[in-house]
Order: sequence, then C-alpha cells, then structure tokens
Amino acid sequence: MSYKLPMGPYHPALEEPYKLDMTCEGETVCEAKLHIGFNFRGIEHLAETRNYIQVIALMERVCGICSNIHTLTLCQAMEQLTGLTPPPRALYIRVVMAELERLHSHVLWAGIAAKLMGFKTMFMECFALREKVMDVLQAISGNRVNYSMNRIGGVNRDIADPQSILQMVEQLEREMASTIIPIFTTSTTARSRCAGIGVLTHEKAISCGVVGPTARASGVPQDLRRATPYAAYSEMKFDVPVEQDGDVRARLLVRALEIMETCRILRQALNKMPAGEIHTGEAKVVFTAGTAVSRVEAPRGEVMYSVAWKENSRNPARVHVRTPTFANMPAIRWMVLGARIADTPLIQASIDPCYSCTDR
Amino acid sequence: MSTVASVASDDVAQHIGDESSWVHKGGVHWYCAELTDVRRLARSMNAVHARFVTITATELAAGEGFRLEYLWDLDGRLLGFTFHVTHSSIESIYDICEAADWIEREIHEGFAIDFPGRIYEPLLLRPGDKLGVNLREVAK
Repeated sequence: MSYKLPMGPYHPALEEPYKLDMTCEGETVCEAKLHIGFNFRGIEHLAETRNYIQVIALMERVCGICSNIHTLTLCQAMEQLTGLTPPPRALYIRVVMAELERLHSHVLWAGIAAKLMGFKTMFMECFALREKVMDVLQAISGNRVNYSMNRIGGVNRDIADPQSILQMVEQLEREMASTIIPIFTTSTTARSRCAGIGVLTHEKAISCGVVGPTARASGVPQDLRRATPYAAYSEMKFDVPVEQDGDVRARLLVRALEIMETCRILRQALNKMPAGEIHTGEAKVVFTAGTAVSRVEAPRGEVMYSVAWKENSRNPARVHVRTPTFANMPAIRWMVLGARIADTPLIQASIDPCYSCTDR
Repeated sequence: MSTVASVASDDVAQHIGDESSWVHKGGVHWYCAELTDVRRLARSMNAVHARFVTITATELAAGEGFRLEYLWDLDGRLLGFTFHVTHSSIESIYDICEAADWIEREIHEGFAIDFPGRIYEPLLLRPGDKLGVNLREVAK
C-alpha cells in the first residue's frame, strides 16, 4: 500500500525551504513532485527600479554563496551594452574571485554532504577549511560574503600582492589534498552512503537540461569556462572532471576533483597576473538600447543574465536571471525515484541546491 | 537587427550552419527570420542536440503584448529565437522539451501568459491563490 510523505518546505532533512511531495511504498519512493516559491523575492522586477550602479549591489544579493558570480555575469552583460572592455588585470582578478568562490562553495557543500552522510567529523573539517577560504576572500575584498568586487568596466579592488594570496591558496590546497580529497574519494563511509544512489542517467541529464557538476557527473562534459571562455579563462590550463555514473558519488567526485582544478587555476592567475589598471575609469557610462546576454560557469553550473536597456535610461528595462539550481532542481524528482526515504536528503543535497538563487 | 526574409523557415535545423541566417548581437546568435511555430522550433533544436537554456519574457508597451526570447545552447553558441505574443498565449513546448517546464510555469505565474497544451501544477510563485497573475500589474 502506498502512502504520501511530504517533506518541507521547512524540514530538518532539507537545507533549503522547498517542498518534496513523495509517494512511497514501504521505504521506497515511487513518485515525487517538487514545489518551490516559498520565499520568492521579485528581484528581477526590483532590478527595473534600480540604476546601473544600484542594480549591481542588488543582484549581488541573489545568492549568499556565489554572490560574486552574479555581479560578474551582470557586469559582463552591461559591458556589452556600454562597449567597455575591462583591462587585462581586472580580468585576472575576476578569475581569482570566481575560483575562490567556487572553492568556498564546493567546500561548504562537502561539509553539508558529510553531515547528511552522518560523517560529522568531516563536516567540522570542511567548515574549518571554508573559514580559511573566506579569510582569503576577505584579504582581497575586505568582505566575507558580498564582496562588491565587480563594476562595469573592471573591478573595484586590486590584489596588491598576488604572491601573499598565492601562499594562502597553496596552504589551503595542501590541507585539502591531505583531508577532504582523499577522504571523499577513498573512504568506505563516503562510498557506502553515496555509490549507486540518486542516479541521474546521461539521457535524463540531457533531457532535463541540467548544468554544472550535476551534468558533468552524468557524463555531460559542459563547462562554459572551456566552451565560451570569459574573463581570462582562455589563458588558463585546466581539466574539466567528468564522471559517468550519475549517482551521488559521481557528483561528489566531480566536485572533489574540481577543487584541485580550481587551485590549479588560482596558481596560474596569481602567478601570471599582468600589471596595469583594474578598471576603465569612467565616472559615467552610457548604454546603447538593446539586449545583452552573458553566461558564466558558477560553482553550481551555468548562470545566465539577459539584460535589456532602453535609450537614455539609467535603469535596466528588464533583467532576467536563469540560475543553475533553477535548471538542476527539477531533476531531483527523477533522482529520488526508487530511492530509500533515508537517502532522499543526501540525494537532494547532491545537486548543491541554492534556494536563494531559485526564488530570486 | 537585420531581417533576412529569404531564410524564413520554421525548420531552423536546416539553417544551423548557414551564417546568413543569424546575426550575432549582445552575446546571442539571433535567428533572423520570423518564426511562427514554437513547437517546430523545439523539435528542430532537439534534432541538433541543442540544450535548452531559458525563455526570457518581456512586457512591451501597453497593448503590444509580450516578447518571448527562447534560448538554446549549441556547443557553446547561444542561439536566440524571438516570438511576439499578442494575446497572452503561446503553445507549450514542455512535452517536447522537458527542461522548459519550470520557466513556462514561472512566466505563466509572473506575466499571466498561457501555454496551452500543458497542465499547471501548484504555484511556483505565491502571490495569492490565483494562477496566472501578471505580478507587474499587481505591483503597480
């Protein structure tokens, strides 16, 4: 006999306020439906009431973890409409910030995943490391969450001494290489809790249009840093980890390997950072009427901003944000089919859902 | 944006490699010709294994309806297709393109545009108990 089991919108097993309505038989999930919209903020509409400086501060609040990515994507779109090209040093600083944010996001996710696995020691270890990543971000930007780094035509703050930041990154890399990476890739706890559960097949990943590590863990090798390089990514050498199994362990492995690739990119960006200005210096910018679209590979996958401007306006006519979780979340209903109820929190967490992004 | 009437065809797949059918502007390769059949477009995109990205809805001036921009990614190239919606209704592509599910629902709930051919599940956004409310009108 089947029964319905609602999980959420506020539930101890969920990290975010959405709702999963499951139909179960015994301990097995037979059907699931996802509901979002509990904290909808109307940020896209609010953006139309902000000028081109205010809108950057507003869109930085779309997400509390990848806040920098949102301003980067927005500024790239606005730069297309203003014809401004950031100087090379600014592009390198954008890469450093984007990769540090990826590091921060992946380590935070690893901690949450460890907690849901029942691996509390690892949770503490991950969050201790996350603090150190935030220390590096603070050393660069002065802030630990909303960094206020991006502006139209460049960045607001320079990295005065890239070598001191490099030392901090290398220390972090050593600690991660000796703790998080081997434990997540080889421990029996991680393997037994993650292998073979929450499978998203390659075909379903393509059909659902999932992005980022969720797609790459199902054998879809898409990464905008490689496919359409932005900022200074065309000058960086890195691999895009791809796994084929599509289960929670594959998503764990992809992120663990990405942590090491991120450190590799950070080393290159900090070592090769060109001298020069960090922004174009315009006190006032003029927009051409039209629409510009920009895409960036955020920690959770592709972020897209479509920005429309009217002639002689200080405010955008329309800002549309397609966040990675908005693309990934519908796939959860397929991942939990056939799963045990006890595994569903970990399966949901395995896409690294960001509800703040989804209910922007 | 230039209009190339000679390439007018809803079978976009035939024009993927034809540069004259597209204009690159604002980070998107926009299809020049006017399209009328969104479902045929979705099938064409499936045929070339393009990945659905999103639909951007924009409300036009009073009485002019809405502009819907459908975006697909093809090997890193962002392909854009514009549809003008004058009667707040355009066919759903959800059954052809599963990835369009949530954005169709969001546009329905945020702009009151109907997508015939699909069932709307409970609200994604929650302004009240009505389905298909133009939130911008509510906010005025």
